[in-house]
Amino acid sequence: MATLGTYTLVAAFIACAYAAAAAVAGHRRRSTRLLESGIGAFYLVTALMTFASAIIVRAFVTGDYSIRYVDRYSDAVQPLFYKVTSYWGGLDGSIMFWVFLLSVFGAIAVKTNRERHRELIPYVIATVSVVQLFFLMIMIVSKNPFATYLIDTPVDGRGLNPLLQNPYMVIHPPSLYTGMVAMTIPFAFAMAALITGHLDDSWLRAVRRWTMFSWFFLSLGLTLGMIWAYEELGWGGWWGWDPVENAGALPWFPMTAFLHSVMVQERRNMLRVWNISLVIIAFVLTLFATAMTRTGIVQSVHSFGEDPQLALMFGIFISLTLIVSFGYVIYRLPLLRARNELESWVSREAAFLVNNWILLFSAFFILFATMFPTLSEAVTGQRITVGPPFFNKWMVPIGLMLLLLTGIGPLLAWRKSTIANLRQQFLWPTTCAVLTATVLYGLGFHVWVSGMCFALCAFVVGTISQEFVRGAVVRRGVTGSDLLTAMIGLVTRSRRRYGGYVIHVGIVLIMLGFAGSGYKQTAQVLLNPGEQVEVGRFVVRHDRLSITDDGAKEMHTAHLTVFKDGQEAGQLFPGRWYYRKHETEPTTEVALRRRLSEDLYVVLAAYDMADQSASFQVTVNPLVNWIWFGFAMLTFGTGIALLPESRFAFLASKSPPESVGATSGVSTTILILAVMSGLSNPIYAQQGVNVESYTATTGLEAELQNELVCVCGDCPHYTLAACRCALAPQWITTSDGRQEIARAGSEFMRGQLREQIELGRSRREILDYFIESYGSQEPLGAPLDEGFNRFAWLFPYLVGVGCLIGVGVVAVRWSRRDLATVGGASSSLEVVDAELDARLDDELRNLD
Amino acid sequence: MMSSEISTDTTSSSFRAWHCFVLAGLVGATVAVVIVQPTETASLVLLVLAVGAGSYVGFGIYRAVLPLFSTKFSARIETVGGRTRAALDREKTLVLRAIKELEFDRAMGKVSEDDFAAMGGKLRSRARELLKQLDVDGMTYRDLIERELLERLGLIGLEPAGIQEAPARRQVCGSCGTGNEEDAQFCKSCGAGL
Repeated sequence: MATLGTYTLVAAFIACAYAAAAAVAGHRRRSTRLLESGIGAFYLVTALMTFASAIIVRAFVTGDYSIRYVDRYSDAVQPLFYKVTSYWGGLDGSIMFWVFLLSVFGAIAVKTNRERHRELIPYVIATVSVVQLFFLMIMIVSKNPFATYLIDTPVDGRGLNPLLQNPYMVIHPPSLYTGMVAMTIPFAFAMAALITGHLDDSWLRAVRRWTMFSWFFLSLGLTLGMIWAYEELGWGGWWGWDPVENAGALPWFPMTAFLHSVMVQERRNMLRVWNISLVIIAFVLTLFATAMTRTGIVQSVHSFGEDPQLALMFGIFISLTLIVSFGYVIYRLPLLRARNELESWVSREAAFLVNNWILLFSAFFILFATMFPTLSEAVTGQRITVGPPFFNKWMVPIGLMLLLLTGIGPLLAWRKSTIANLRQQFLWPTTCAVLTATVLYGLGFHVWVSGMCFALCAFVVGTISQEFVRGAVVRRGVTGSDLLTAMIGLVTRSRRRYGGYVIHVGIVLIMLGFAGSGYKQTAQVLLNPGEQVEVGRFVVRHDRLSITDDGAKEMHTAHLTVFKDGQEAGQLFPGRWYYRKHETEPTTEVALRRRLSEDLYVVLAAYDMADQSASFQVTVNPLVNWIWFGFAMLTFGTGIALLPESRFAFLASKSPPESVGATSGVSTTILILAVMSGLSNPIYAQQGVNVESYTATTGLEAELQNELVCVCGDCPHYTLAACRCALAPQWITTSDGRQEIARAGSEFMRGQLREQIELGRSRREILDYFIESYGSQEPLGAPLDEGFNRFAWLFPYLVGVGCLIGVGVVAVRWSRRDLATVGGASSSLEVVDAELDARLDDELRNLD
Repeated sequence: MMSSEISTDTTSSSFRAWHCFVLAGLVGATVAVVIVQPTETASLVLLVLAVGAGSYVGFGIYRAVLPLFSTKFSARIETVGGRTRAALDREKTLVLRAIKELEFDRAMGKVSEDDFAAMGGKLRSRARELLKQLDVDGMTYRDLIERELLERLGLIGLEPAGIQEAPARRQVCGSCGTGNEEDAQFCKSCGAGL
């Protein structure tokens, strides 16, 4: 079984290589036979990967523990569901899953585009095959999922990590992988267009749908990750700016930018170099994301481990991809020149350009900040942390800017907007925003970031509602129906545009959810049975603790009664579960009371079974469910936008569905403003021992508790306010004889902080104290702004300003260029055939 | 009603190559189940799936190797001036859609009148170009369908009732009887001089 699997992978490798060679040779020699054979080989790879997948899943299901991968991620008592999905539970299997998905998508892409884009197909096959070859090579050379134990075949496996045994683990990776892998197809088409020189809009048509599909699944994967973190991991937040989280989010930005800026290329034939570059960057970032997760080049809780050999292979492949693809872009620059120029900054083209710039900058910033600790350690030898405080500072304003753009974009006219134009378009949305801001301020909501967010949400809603209503009115005028029918007709006719607007509404709801976290309330408290704690409108009373067992795990549960506004409102059962064979890694079971207005979130931090006392972290998260609801809206909008165009009976030959990519929403802030809360609360308690929680006594202490991070090495640098680990400090002696702490838990660190506060030290003195005790800036959430670290703070600014200047220069140069004569029909010479014109009008009418 | 006499399929039988592989897969799966006799449902399902995947592999090999030895795969793709008809059709639809979208944007105030005239003009020229390209032999697509319909009806001996005669501007070849355009000098079917 295992050898069959290995040979299948080798066969796939050979078939891939052949497919690439045959397709290219067939194209160059104009030999249909070779080309067809190459296409057949491409399908063969899909078949082989399906076969290999079937083998490994069968191995899991039948419990073939001679295969190391199966032994590592499964055992006899594991539920069938998790046995099957362990396919992608570990590194080796996940790479095979990647190749499997890629082969399936590749086959679909080739099959559907055979006729439409014949000239591109050979190089599409070649590009996809090369990517597959790379991943297959990794598997064959070092990460073979079919590797076996030569002796000592285990009778039972070790079992999947219990943290991974939940439904989210099952859908989050495939969704994320689909999102990333599907991006290879647009890249392949882009490369094919570059290589063959067919740089008109046809390659765009082929890929817009794929990009939209990829974008959606990436968003889904990220949202599922957020929900998972929120519900299962128990730290109270949904985005920790962990390196692997960031890596997954990186491709999202250029994808969003691309989905918007294609519209400019279609309408005005501009931003052509941008578009092709965005596709390349998005693809390279997916490679980078997968590299970051697998090679351990940044410290993260998500990563599979450290692997320098793999890092080298990925590094080489990514570099080669960048060189070859951008090399071709430079080579084809003459063909890619824009046919029009930017005439006014108050135009939709300009808005999209700014959108591109902001999104790309965000991606770059996140990449830089994520890699900075590694960079810094390599250069200065000092370990630092770039955590939520650093990201917060930057991403919040960027997120708000993007939200503003979401509202402004649809209001601007193409080419240039006149003042009258602006007045007419901006009046209603601006009124909404100002009204909302005033009302909220009047009602006493004074958190300025949240307030601004609410006002901007109102602005965007104003814009979208205006678009819908005015569009319906226009359509009613044209078709003569009533307003409601007109509105429905509007959406079905312009699915891309109105699907996009629905997506934007989803974004607004998500932003609403983020803004709510500005009003989060939390308390950490030790309760005996019968005692209660008040948080916001809720009162939570601890009744008792219990222990139960269901065969697979032992469950320690607390029983709580909840009162809202004085009335009894149900019960909550937070707990800790100890799985068999994983007793040292208990899972935290969060107790959640979900309502649209807020969530009541309780975690059992620590407890003492003997006297039934327990420490709880009780949090009230206002508006958080709007995030998930907003994503559902986003899905709905994507569905609308992806619907195929209906065919026209008269055109009997297949007019395949237009690549209806939607004006995808600027969902950047899903990730960015996730940190508006900034108060991440991971619960990482010890088993059965009560801990002193060190609730902050002064403002400065609270502030620093949210800035300093835990250095236990087991948690992803949670802030001291959030982490609950009680690792004892490990002292080491440095080369110059000083005593330094190598690792310590947050409990101990909070104690240190309390000491310093009580001694009356200032902020800077406390930070210096920590730097001295730990021998580096690692406990600080963000590096101090001096020395090499100044680079961290400065570099993004520099790049940002540099880009701004660059864009400004380009724009000025463009506007000074002579009006280029656009290629195509020159109306002066054309004799307009009346019959042809009549037919044209006829067909336009038939279009609905 | 469709039957093999008037079917325009080039293959004479309705048995395709991939049927063979599906059959092989089914047979193989049955044999495998009988030999292995799996006890659990999941195991059984996966065995069947694995064998099915195996037959898919067989088909893949066939599909990869056969084109090198047979011309069956060089499908007759209808081309019009270097691009496929399908591609041209699509582009035409897209250009028409773009025109409509532009009109809508003008109605919504997102495009000024001048810009509308300029951009719309370009789009309309392109659409006209495409319409011209799509007309084959000076005949519109509709005419092509009518002609084929006539031929098929003639084949099964039916008189075309109520179908327009081909326009009188045609000339008929003396040797083979095919209709040709009025300005043709040689018959397009048999090559005889007109």
